[in-house]
Amino acid sequence: MVPPSYYVLLSALIFAIGLYGVLTRRNAVVILMCVELMLNAANLNIVAFAAYLGDVTGQILVLFALAIAAAEVAVGLGIFILVYREYGTVDVTLPRGMRW
Amino acid sequence: MTLEPGLLENVAVLIPLLPFAAFAVILAGSTYGDRFDLPATAFAIASVTASLLLSLVLLAELYTHPEIPTPFTAAEATWTAGGAAPELTFGLMVDPLSAVMAVIVTLVATLVLVFSLYYMNGEDESGLPRYYASMTLFTGSMLAFVFSDNLLMAFFFFELIGLCSYILIGFWYQTPSAASAAKKAFLVTRFGDYFFLVGVAFAFAAFGTLSFHGDTSLFTAAEAAIDAGDTVLGVDASTAVTLVALLVLGGVIGKSAQFPLHTWLPDAMEGPTPVSALIHAATMVAAGVYLVARTFELYALSPTAMLVVAYVGGFTALFAATMALVMDDIKQVLAYSTISQYGYMMLALGAGGYTAAVFHLANHAFFKALLFLGAGSVIIALHHKQDMWEMGGLRSRMPVTYWTFLAGALALAGIAPFSGFWSKDEALLAALTNAANEPLLLAPLALGVLAVPVTAFYTMRMHALTFHGEARSEAAEEAEEGGWPVYLPLGVLGALAVVSGFANAAPLGVKELSGFLGASDLYGYAATHLGYADAFTVNYALLVVALALAFAGAIAGYLLYRDADEPLKRRFDPVTEALERRYYLDGAQTRFAEDGVLEGSRWVNRFDVDVVDGLVDAVSTTALQSGDALRRVQTGVVRDYAAVIAFSVVVLALLVGLLGGWI
Repeated sequence: MVPPSYYVLLSALIFAIGLYGVLTRRNAVVILMCVELMLNAANLNIVAFAAYLGDVTGQILVLFALAIAAAEVAVGLGIFILVYREYGTVDVTLPRGMRW
Repeated sequence: MTLEPGLLENVAVLIPLLPFAAFAVILAGSTYGDRFDLPATAFAIASVTASLLLSLVLLAELYTHPEIPTPFTAAEATWTAGGAAPELTFGLMVDPLSAVMAVIVTLVATLVLVFSLYYMNGEDESGLPRYYASMTLFTGSMLAFVFSDNLLMAFFFFELIGLCSYILIGFWYQTPSAASAAKKAFLVTRFGDYFFLVGVAFAFAAFGTLSFHGDTSLFTAAEAAIDAGDTVLGVDASTAVTLVALLVLGGVIGKSAQFPLHTWLPDAMEGPTPVSALIHAATMVAAGVYLVARTFELYALSPTAMLVVAYVGGFTALFAATMALVMDDIKQVLAYSTISQYGYMMLALGAGGYTAAVFHLANHAFFKALLFLGAGSVIIALHHKQDMWEMGGLRSRMPVTYWTFLAGALALAGIAPFSGFWSKDEALLAALTNAANEPLLLAPLALGVLAVPVTAFYTMRMHALTFHGEARSEAAEEAEEGGWPVYLPLGVLGALAVVSGFANAAPLGVKELSGFLGASDLYGYAATHLGYADAFTVNYALLVVALALAFAGAIAGYLLYRDADEPLKRRFDPVTEALERRYYLDGAQTRFAEDGVLEGSRWVNRFDVDVVDGLVDAVSTTALQSGDALRRVQTGVVRDYAAVIAFSVVVLALLVGLLGGWI
């Protein structure tokens, strides 16, 4: 059996990659994909610990998280379509109206 | 005629109720404007006349049936029921004093309203419904005040009287001086009423009752507390009684226009002349003195308060009389004479002369109403001229006014056998008799005696200037007298000015009023508590001296001004200037109000604006400005938010790690 530290390290790596992408990329779709990476890094962690502890609760929790993430993606993509219609691109640095 | 006791109570209730009802009707009808003039006049005169008849019935019943127990109350109602706090009740208190006063008020009010037919309706004044509504409310309030059976109820109606006088003095409110005079009357009397209100609260807190009668009256409670040597509210009982008496006296001084709160009264001449007659003779000004008479048993418990009353009265009597010497406006002369005459009543009360005060109140009501209505008759005949130097020679043109005015003038001057002579003599007699027991009364007595020739002088000066000599203006040459609305009131009041003094002509052995009022009980009461005389015996020396002084003043006034065609007072410039400026007191009070109170208020306002508001503003400004600065954080760029969140998580993780000791 693979020791949990490997999973934790892998998950930390994926999370860091996702965070880097969120902070550096301009394309909203890419940022959304990076967010998915971060989310799934967390899911991986939960599944790993669940397997290690022999508790199935963690695995069920992840299933729920996946379903909700799918719904969230639908909402996010809907917003992107509106942004695209308004600005002709999905560059997240362009919409600046939502401020003071 | 004998009435059932219950019926007598109903009579007493109706007396104040009728004018109030008329007020309500006229108020409702006044929406019809000028078309309601005639009904308003009719309602006012009818209601007050009915009250007069009922008052006469009440007085006659009480007079012919001494066996009727007085005081009795009518329409007693509980305002706040007992429990932990003492009970407050409202009710009408009927006794000889209130019965006499009710007749005075309703009689003068009726005659004044009849005269108003000439003075107001005859001159086509606008706003007549307002006039008659105010007059009935005024009369009703005064009657309710007269019948009040406790101090709080008295205070309520005292205030209502003040309000009505404000409305009526400012009847011609479009005239700036009238509006200003109304405000002045309201504010000056309110200044005194403030003390009255504190006195009411103090009395209630100290003695737990405000009633004027019965076993639990304010007087018996105060007397018992003094006898027991109790301590109430941190002071001993006799000091508390003195305080209550002096605080109530504040309201009296304001309403009865005594020094130093007399300044509103001469200005109040801006109102229509019938209003002046009502205010001076029967209602507003009389209320103050009546209140002292009503609470005489309270004042008699405090030698200090009695002396203060006597000193205020004696000083005011002379002080106001001197100012009347130089006034050119006929109503101003009468105004100052009113102040002076109420001074005599106060002097009498302070000296223990209960009968004398009530007697003078009654006589003064009749002859002063007469003088004011006579002056009103002259003023209308001269097309609203009030300066006596534009009158003269009216004797032949206005005979009824001349003769009745003469009767009133002689009564005011204190010439026997006119009414004022008898009552003024009694007032002085009270002071002289009790000066033997209380030497401090000598000073007010001297002031009162000095005022006698002064009064006679200005009265006859006024009379001579108005009616004798040559006509000094075209209007005076063509003056014409009015019809029966003038003759009837003047005739009735003129007759009363001649005969009303005989109600208690003590030197002739007539003591009807004194006996009816049960004054000997009060004299005994004053004798017990103050060491005053328990009876007054006629002093013929005083009688002769007072009469001689009055004659001297009257003859001098008449001779000097009979043919005068220019003001003689110019010969004594510095003195007359002081008198004409009213001893600079009006100016001083105005300055006190403008420079003192107004300036002080400005300072307080500045503190409010700068300090209090400044603090409040500083709080809001800080919040606003920091909010303004902080909102820049919201850039609207989604990546910035992501960066802040990521950075914060890192910082939080580091913090938890460091503080938790994991790193």
